[in-house]
Amino acid sequence: MKTVLANILAIYRRELLSYFASPLAYAIAAIFWLVSGFLFWATLEGIVGQAALYDAQAGAGVSVPPIDIPYEFIRAVLGVVGSLSLFVLPILSMGLYAEERKRGTLELLATSPLTNWSVAIGKLLGVVTFFVTMSLPLLIYEAIALANVNPPVQPSILLLGHGGLILLAAAVLSLGMFISSLTDSTILAAIFTFALVLGLWVVDLIAKNFTGGLADAIGHLSLLKHYTNLVQGVVDTGSLVLFASYILLGIFLTAQSIDALRFQRS
Amino acid sequence: MIEVEHLSKIYGSTPAIEDVTFSVAPGEILGFLGPNGAGKTTTMRILSGYLPASRGTAKVAGFEVHEHSMEVRQRIGYLPETPPLYPEMTVEGFLNFVAQIKGVSAGDRANRIKAAIEKCNLVEKRKTLIRKLSKGFRQRVGIAQAIVHDPPVIILDEPTVGLDPRQIIDVRNLIKQLANDHTVILSTHILPEVSMTCDRVAIINRGRVVATNTPASLMEQLMGGSGYELDIAGNSIAVQQCLQRVEGVKHVEEMQIENLPEHRIKVRVVSESNAEPGHAIAAALVRNGLGLYEMRRVQASLEDVFLDLTTEEKPLEATPETADTTDNVDTEPPSTKSEVLPTETPSEDAR
Repeated sequence: MKTVLANILAIYRRELLSYFASPLAYAIAAIFWLVSGFLFWATLEGIVGQAALYDAQAGAGVSVPPIDIPYEFIRAVLGVVGSLSLFVLPILSMGLYAEERKRGTLELLATSPLTNWSVAIGKLLGVVTFFVTMSLPLLIYEAIALANVNPPVQPSILLLGHGGLILLAAAVLSLGMFISSLTDSTILAAIFTFALVLGLWVVDLIAKNFTGGLADAIGHLSLLKHYTNLVQGVVDTGSLVLFASYILLGIFLTAQSIDALRFQRS
Repeated sequence: MIEVEHLSKIYGSTPAIEDVTFSVAPGEILGFLGPNGAGKTTTMRILSGYLPASRGTAKVAGFEVHEHSMEVRQRIGYLPETPPLYPEMTVEGFLNFVAQIKGVSAGDRANRIKAAIEKCNLVEKRKTLIRKLSKGFRQRVGIAQAIVHDPPVIILDEPTVGLDPRQIIDVRNLIKQLANDHTVILSTHILPEVSMTCDRVAIINRGRVVATNTPASLMEQLMGGSGYELDIAGNSIAVQQCLQRVEGVKHVEEMQIENLPEHRIKVRVVSESNAEPGHAIAAALVRNGLGLYEMRRVQASLEDVFLDLTTEEKPLEATPETADTTDNVDTEPPSTKSEVLPTETPSEDAR
């Protein structure tokens, strides 16, 4: 057990190092920060404008429904950032195994006393950590924007929303890692991951067109639906289980595909 | 230490290796020699546990490589065909990572890394990013990662590819040095390499092991002793007749050499094994009034043994051809001609 943890840690550290040493990772982070910063600003402006409109309407004697501005704001920001992640995450996960295959370093990992599981877990932890680093500034912006609202926003709502974002990211990255393990082309891995994630993002919209148990079941696979739940502050065990299932499925399939690779390699 | 029995690997319907059997004793260096595509890499990959075999068994240190993969992986150091390197890491950082995943304890790690860096002459480059290293240095880092955890069995797939002659000599010495307390199996398609470094050679061609023996006995077994190259003034038929009668001569063949002066021929005489007909040949030529310009002894090289093979080694260093084969016989006249004439390696005549 101790050696397994040590191995996971070794893989994790190497993976993390490769992100912080890679120009591509910095470029992705920079673009993510730029776009998420802009989206944050645009959402804030929109919410403030809407609040002013409500104020004016209320002042003119029109009855308006009560609205929790900070809460709406968090929901909107995390909603757009979730969609933005959809584009960014496949790029982060594309190289996880494809790069190792291309460089031949998979041969080193496969002939070292490591299980495929520990490699997959270490790699996933590495890339999730990198994503957490990428999403941290957003949490800081939000904390600043909401610092002076009255009544104060509960930090738990903010943290839950970000926890949801990280769970979503981990699920997508885990599936992306599996796809990356199937090919030695990073571009192909990114494209297929994007297609898969897009499908899972909107699968409940598709399921809505049908009725019956199967449609329900398919609808539950939707990433967007469960992400929205968490962002809204609803801790639904079902959502947590779904994300955890995606993460474990990704790791499991990765370990299996690396094992299967040995039988078909030519 | 390594036992391979009836090993086969089939991709689809094409066999990469068929019925390969050999064994390596502890502390021995086995050279795996064969042309490109003969199945060397496949065999190495099976031994390292990277590929499963289609049939047959391979055991390393008593463990079957597929069934007890983890035990085997703990006991081998493996340099694949392309050195598995992470370009964004420093040499030291990379070796530290490899030591970690190979299960070297934290206490031993620093010493092991230091030893591997020193053995592979990487001391000046230890803080350099692998990305910035030349091919030769990368190859050395590849060797360093194979020995960093001090494994009992070391598998090296073409360890000297991409190195310059100086580095090749260093690596060969390193391999010899390793053999004192490790079992080494290395593959190569460069002939002199095996005769210089290996205790035993397995020659593999089109997926089959065609011969396993020490380099010296392979040469002897397949070529049957040594021969002579003679530069003679005289009629071809007369020379042939004269030499055929000498005791200990197996056969005589005329070599096709361009730019020879008129009435001069070069012949190759292959002697019976354990015979030394040099003196008798010289005496017979003198008796028959044939002018002898040059006579030198040539030994069969591994190249003669394996004609299909091509060597890429340039004669920049003392290759075995020049070291072993130009064993000058005392009957050679002190002529300046021998320097002027193109010296032929035995391989080229043999083709």
